Amino acid sequence: MPTPAAPLGCAQDIGLLYRDHHGWLRGWLHRRLGCAHHAADVAQDTFVRLLAARDALPLLREPRAYLRTTAQRLLVDHARRQAVEDAWRAEVALLAEHGDLHYPAPEVALAALRALRELSDVLDRVAAKARAAFLLHYLDGLTHEAVAAELGVSDRMVRKYLAQVLVQCAALED
Amino acid sequence: MAAPALASDTPAEQAAEWLAGLGVTDPAERERIRAGFEAWKAADPRHAQAAAPMERWLAALQPLQGAGARAARAALQAGEESTATHRRRSRARAAAGLAAAVVAALAVWAGVRDEWPQALVADLRTGAGEWRSQPLPDGSRLTLAAGSAVDLHFDGDQRTVRLLRGDILVDVARDPARPFVVRTRDGEVRALGTQFVVERGAESTRLAMIESATAVRSARQVARHADDAVRVQAGEQVRITPEGVTPLAPVDPQGLRTQWQQRQWVVLDRPLAEVLDELARRHPGHLGYDAAQIAGLRVSAVLPLDDPDRALALLQGSFPQLRVTRLTRFWVRVERAG
Repeated sequence: MPTPAAPLGCAQDIGLLYRDHHGWLRGWLHRRLGCAHHAADVAQDTFVRLLAARDALPLLREPRAYLRTTAQRLLVDHARRQAVEDAWRAEVALLAEHGDLHYPAPEVALAALRALRELSDVLDRVAAKARAAFLLHYLDGLTHEAVAAELGVSDRMVRKYLAQVLVQCAALED
Repeated sequence: MAAPALASDTPAEQAAEWLAGLGVTDPAERERIRAGFEAWKAADPRHAQAAAPMERWLAALQPLQGAGARAARAALQAGEESTATHRRRSRARAAAGLAAAVVAALAVWAGVRDEWPQALVADLRTGAGEWRSQPLPDGSRLTLAAGSAVDLHFDGDQRTVRLLRGDILVDVARDPARPFVVRTRDGEVRALGTQFVVERGAESTRLAMIESATAVRSARQVARHADDAVRVQAGEQVRITPEGVTPLAPVDPQGLRTQWQQRQWVVLDRPLAEVLDELARRHPGHLGYDAAQIAGLRVSAVLPLDDPDRALALLQGSFPQLRVTRLTRFWVRVERAG
């Protein structure tokens, strides 16, 4: 039987949250993922994420729904990062094979992958047009005017889009 | 243009606006903005502190620019698709609930927004209900079904088509010096001169051969430089996932060619759900149904592929027990009446 826990008022209660719901969360993840080890890792990461955001921990009337949402978000983020990394490796291998690009040295590849992961994290949080504007300008090297023409917006709007993306990167720094 | 700072913004927002301004094209204005930015940073230590992580982050993007941009684009796109797939899955779960109508209506808009970024980087794209046949510079021809998007890369050494979304019919002009390659996240199809159909699904890519043969490799084989490509001959069909290439039931090459030429889909004794899925992919909005309700119903019909609404009307004609509910033009639900 699930035990309905008391609503949580403040950050100290994360210990309580852990005590009451960690086992349940791990079980729920285990059923979803079909792997006990992976489930334990994700459950742990979920609490780590809550701890990191403890100032923002809201009053939890339904702590399990909140934990489930956080865990789900983690799984989606993890899958996205994995997809980004796999696609990058496949693409670079393909380009290198065609002679379009030299296969990067390990430290260069590592820096590129890290930049890519952060970029993907940031772009995940902004609207489609801001994302498109950012990539066209900073990756493809299009001028503001060319980006504006591509997206059918004003130059001013392009600057606004770029700023929207840049401001998100502040949230990356822990 | 005015300096970007606004009194109401936080230092981070102001820093972002300054940095975005540094990319303007006019050198004189750029210099003016740079001077303004330096003065702004010097004015308050909190300003410089807010700008520093963004400046560092922009500098770190360098390996993703220039020659690296193409791989970065492909990778980011794969990330977006991964997230979109998860959203679709959780939407499917949510739709099972009581608030299905509302959730589905919202999902339509979310779905439409998901499509933007791919379409913007694509060189060729078609909207819902729109088909397009495009001759390519090498004499090949590409036909895009409704709702498809491709990114072309042709030069002296290669002919590459990246299929971002949807289905394409490829008619390859023979050129032994430059292989013709269709790529998706799942893998690549390599041809010299041939005709085939590639369909990009959410989880995998499907290849159906009409004529001649192609060499197919999964994304994993490509990444490992493996040269054990799978050879696919006319009339054969395979599913490509990043992990591998698996055979599917054979296709009728002539029927497939007709389907693409006439945009008519000849359906022979297929489950109704499968047919609705196919129509849903071509529908501009949301086309939903209750799988349990229509389980066991099978269809034989000739359906127009470029007009999903008419196809639905035809289906309804042959299944009087079906009820088609339209909330708006973009939200359609198929149910079993009574």
